[in-house]
Amino acid sequence: MTRRGRRLSRMGTACLLAATLAFAVGGCTRGSTSKRPPIHPNPNMDDQPKIEPFDASPWFPDGSAMRPPVPGTVARGELFADPVLHTGAAADGTWAAVIPIAVDDAVMARGEERFGIYCQPCHGAKGNGKGPSAVRGGIPAANLVGDPRLLALEPGQIYHAMDAGIGLMPAFARIPTEDRWAIVAYVEELQGR
Amino acid sequence: MSDRELTGAERRYWTSVDEREGRTAPSRAEFPEGAEVSDEVSRRTLLGMLGATAAVAGAAGCRRPLQKIVPFVRAPEEYLPGKPRYFATTATVGTAAYGVLVESHEGRPTKIEGNELHPESRGAANAWLQASILDLYDPDRARVVRRRPPGVPDAVDLDWDQFASAWREIAAEAEATGGAGLAFLTESWASPTLARLSAAVRAKYPRARWAVWEPAGDDAALEATRRATGQALRQVTDLGACKVIVTLDADPLHTDGGALAAARGFAEGRKPGESMNRLYAVESTLTLTGSAADHRLRLKSSQIPAFAAALARELAARGLAVPLPDGAAPELPADAVAAVSVIADDLAANPGAGVVLAGSGQAQDVHVLALAVNRALGAPQTLHPATDVAWGGPASAGTGDGLSGLVAAIGAGEVTTLVIVGGNPAHDAPAELGLAEAMGQLAHSAHLATHYNETTDLCEWHLPRAHFLEAWGDARSADGTASVVQPLIQPLHQGKSAVELLAWIASGERPSAETRSGYDEVRTTWAALTGDGVFEAGWRQALHDGVAGDSALPAVDAAIAHDAVAEALDAAGRAGGDGMEVTFRPSAQVYDGRWANNAWLQELPDPVTRVTWDNEVRLSPATAESLGVETDDIVLVSAGGAQIEGPVFVLPGQADDSVGLTLGYGRSSVGRIGAGIGFDAYRLRSGAAPAAGFVVGASVVPVGRSHELVQTQEYWSMEGRDLVREGTVEEYAADPHFAQGHVEGDDDAALFDPPVEYTEGPQWGMAIDLGSCIGCNACVVACQSENNIPVVGREQVRRGREMQWLRIDRYYTGDLHDPGVVFQPVTCQHCENAPCEQVCPVGATVHDDEGLNGMTYNRCIGTRYCSNNCPYKVRRFNFFNFTKDTPELLKLAMNPDVTVRSRGVMEKCTFCLQRINAAKKTARVGNRELVDGDVVTACQQTCPTKAIHFGDIRDPESVVVHAKEDGRNYTLLGELGNRPRNSYLARIRNPNPAWATPGGQGGAA
Repeated sequence: MTRRGRRLSRMGTACLLAATLAFAVGGCTRGSTSKRPPIHPNPNMDDQPKIEPFDASPWFPDGSAMRPPVPGTVARGELFADPVLHTGAAADGTWAAVIPIAVDDAVMARGEERFGIYCQPCHGAKGNGKGPSAVRGGIPAANLVGDPRLLALEPGQIYHAMDAGIGLMPAFARIPTEDRWAIVAYVEELQGR
Repeated sequence: MSDRELTGAERRYWTSVDEREGRTAPSRAEFPEGAEVSDEVSRRTLLGMLGATAAVAGAAGCRRPLQKIVPFVRAPEEYLPGKPRYFATTATVGTAAYGVLVESHEGRPTKIEGNELHPESRGAANAWLQASILDLYDPDRARVVRRRPPGVPDAVDLDWDQFASAWREIAAEAEATGGAGLAFLTESWASPTLARLSAAVRAKYPRARWAVWEPAGDDAALEATRRATGQALRQVTDLGACKVIVTLDADPLHTDGGALAAARGFAEGRKPGESMNRLYAVESTLTLTGSAADHRLRLKSSQIPAFAAALARELAARGLAVPLPDGAAPELPADAVAAVSVIADDLAANPGAGVVLAGSGQAQDVHVLALAVNRALGAPQTLHPATDVAWGGPASAGTGDGLSGLVAAIGAGEVTTLVIVGGNPAHDAPAELGLAEAMGQLAHSAHLATHYNETTDLCEWHLPRAHFLEAWGDARSADGTASVVQPLIQPLHQGKSAVELLAWIASGERPSAETRSGYDEVRTTWAALTGDGVFEAGWRQALHDGVAGDSALPAVDAAIAHDAVAEALDAAGRAGGDGMEVTFRPSAQVYDGRWANNAWLQELPDPVTRVTWDNEVRLSPATAESLGVETDDIVLVSAGGAQIEGPVFVLPGQADDSVGLTLGYGRSSVGRIGAGIGFDAYRLRSGAAPAAGFVVGASVVPVGRSHELVQTQEYWSMEGRDLVREGTVEEYAADPHFAQGHVEGDDDAALFDPPVEYTEGPQWGMAIDLGSCIGCNACVVACQSENNIPVVGREQVRRGREMQWLRIDRYYTGDLHDPGVVFQPVTCQHCENAPCEQVCPVGATVHDDEGLNGMTYNRCIGTRYCSNNCPYKVRRFNFFNFTKDTPELLKLAMNPDVTVRSRGVMEKCTFCLQRINAAKKTARVGNRELVDGDVVTACQQTCPTKAIHFGDIRDPESVVVHAKEDGRNYTLLGELGNRPRNSYLARIRNPNPAWATPGGQGGAA
């Protein structure tokens, strides 16, 4: 932004503040207890005739503009030709006993980083189930490194837990496949395997 | 008609006949008259309106709208709200199948692009495919089953249950008689599943009649191969391997089937230099192929058969193995005789690299001759079996004597029930066949169609058809490569696909979605195609890629019957062309009329005439003068006892005594968009030869009225500046930097402070190759779809208020009667020292640190100073709130990543900023740097000839930098010192020095 642009935008902000103040004094906007939506004199493209994620649409019977995919379709980049890589289990349902990607230092570092983002809040940095959410939020989390049942899990099962969720834990399918396997590698490292 | 070739700066360019003749002075006004004028609203009314607006705003409009969040109850896998997914599917136009990749936002398809894995699209999509997304969400689409009982004027809305019970009765009766009294009329297709199901229907009802009608299909080519080789074959030409390309009334680069792959091949063979191909176009009206040609011979369509015969004879005389009997060469005009000789020499000099392409409007004879000539030339053309193809000829399985036979049978009372699958035959079949009248005698009739149309109006039942983005299906491209039509969304209305309807009829029972859906039908066909063992893996791969690998049918080495060639030669030589002729071409916008209700296509200017929201009667300047008419004068065109009225458009390059008409307009029963637009050229079409491309013995009479045709080009004048630059191969070889020899940028001349130096991060730039651009408009619609650009309507376009961010300028050069044509796509040039930014009083348009000239929409107060100061006139202003009343359905078509602008806001090309940001996010998530090719703009993605290069101009290895290093690179008005980021590569033509005929492209350009 040019200096001139900044100056102008500051002027605009000042004007807007003055206008907001005027409405606030009038008692018909923020701070009032009306159940009606706040007054919004300048629409300014705040609400556009397009559909954004999670928007409603009266067009569909369920009221949601988000449509489920048509069964049987395959999106680009979602071929998932290798069931072990993408589900953690072979076509016959046997859990993967080894991690199907090559694990090197870079993958391990990535796994540590992703674990810190997605898992650590509940499971704790050491994987002992004492993350801040578990300790302060009262949300119980599994002890990945102490529970003998969890220590015996195949890598495919750990992957599947992230894929589909388990118990209180929601699904983390939004983590890309390679990253999920990196997390599995890191969890196994934590478990001392 | 100059005798010598003009070089470089001597070339003069003009945008219209009027400008060339100096009749109007477009240079007077910078904007078209009316652009600044408000709509017949007096000041008093305006004040009144303002008062009312304030009152309404006070009552309701000023509260923030309530928005609810509606999440999934059970979120599907791999589904991240806000992150688009892409699905490969197949779009079909008649027998042509184009693989497309469709962007889906939260399960709603929003944008269609080409599928780079598919042989017919090669990553590109044309204007029709791009715009078909709007048809999916068209509020005028047929939604429910309707029935109009005989003799009752109004139709009643019903559902499929009622049709099911009605069909049960019809089917019971038909089964007893083996289908006597039952008839089917379908559109053309090339689909394994539809072919299997229609065979099953015929097996169930062996006595039923079956006809296929396609108004602008490739019937002539298919019939010609059947006549010449004994079996119907589809021709696949590798234009990339051709050195010499000759088209006979054909438009292989634009409106013909398979044009995307052809345009790509043509552009690949057209890199300036020794190996550059040469295109000769022989045609009656100016097509995009003719515009791209190095030499163009304008010849009446009725004389083209004689030209083909003469060319075959000349080639035989040069020792090529064209199987011809002896005889005299047919009569042709002198310039055509000279052209035949030059073309024959060039073809003979390039064995194995020459091809002759006949147009779909030409008779079978011309196609047979082209086939024989191509065989003798060893052309890079292969012939593939027409497996699973339905077309109008008698050789198409079970069609018997075609549409005329069907009409006769209805007239004789042999047919009582007619089922029409797709198409609109009551409108687009030749009127003299009398299909519409005959349909009145039917006891029952049903029409499966996405929209209510002229045929629906005559049918008892209207069955809503699912859009191709809503249903399962499959298709075969010209070489037989099979691909699946994969749905993107469940049907929005009650629609069913042709697959579902035919499966229903074939089984006799209405299939429920649970027991047997379109999905199961397609899988059944494909299991038989691939074999059980490998089916499942191959099926998923085919859905993922959008194309089944190795499914192309092997080329056939069929012998050409000498008798057929002799017969064709004889017929072609005798076909005469005295007097006035009328030619018919599918519209480049609405095709055969199927896209008449598509607002994007209606507003799209015709690539050659630049006329929007209308079709026109094209006359050559000489013919117009002899008739005493000018552009906009209405004339009465009569031929074969029928007549139509339409406004004249004087088209330089049109053959004399040839009236060029575009089909697809003048629809009488169509939605709100297409109603009352243009005239219906089908009414003149002859029934003697179905799908005839021309009729002779026409007359044209002025009626003394006029109708204003709205064009988008005339007012943006060149003012004598050399905006388009072109040269010949020789000029290029002599001086590869010839295009830069003009007055070039001088930064000292800049009116404003020198810009910041952009030395960090990616710096975006674009280069457009005018040598590759064929002016097909695909990028314009891609931009409209990607950037939520509103449609403004005919009246607003007339005032010069069109909104398309990307326009394609068409310039003529040279002779008035035989001009050369150059196209130039103009986007925002993203000047580093942008004149628009200097005059914005509110800082709404500013530069970002990646060199983009950005628009902050909600800062804009609509002074339009920027537009006045823009030397390229690429800024567009929202004179009205064009998007205010967007129907709920059309909201679904909007790209969620782009702002939908409101009234009073300036807008323009952003270099697809949303795509740049998406690519940055993807790179960051992937923990890597942006690389060349990560950011692909919408126009660049869809360009069939890959004329648009985009990328980081600081990356020395990027494609765009390589393009800009080309000697042909020049900037538009660079001498203003505004340092545009966009640049152009001058066009190079490859004229044949032997071409002596005056006129024609390159010949006298």
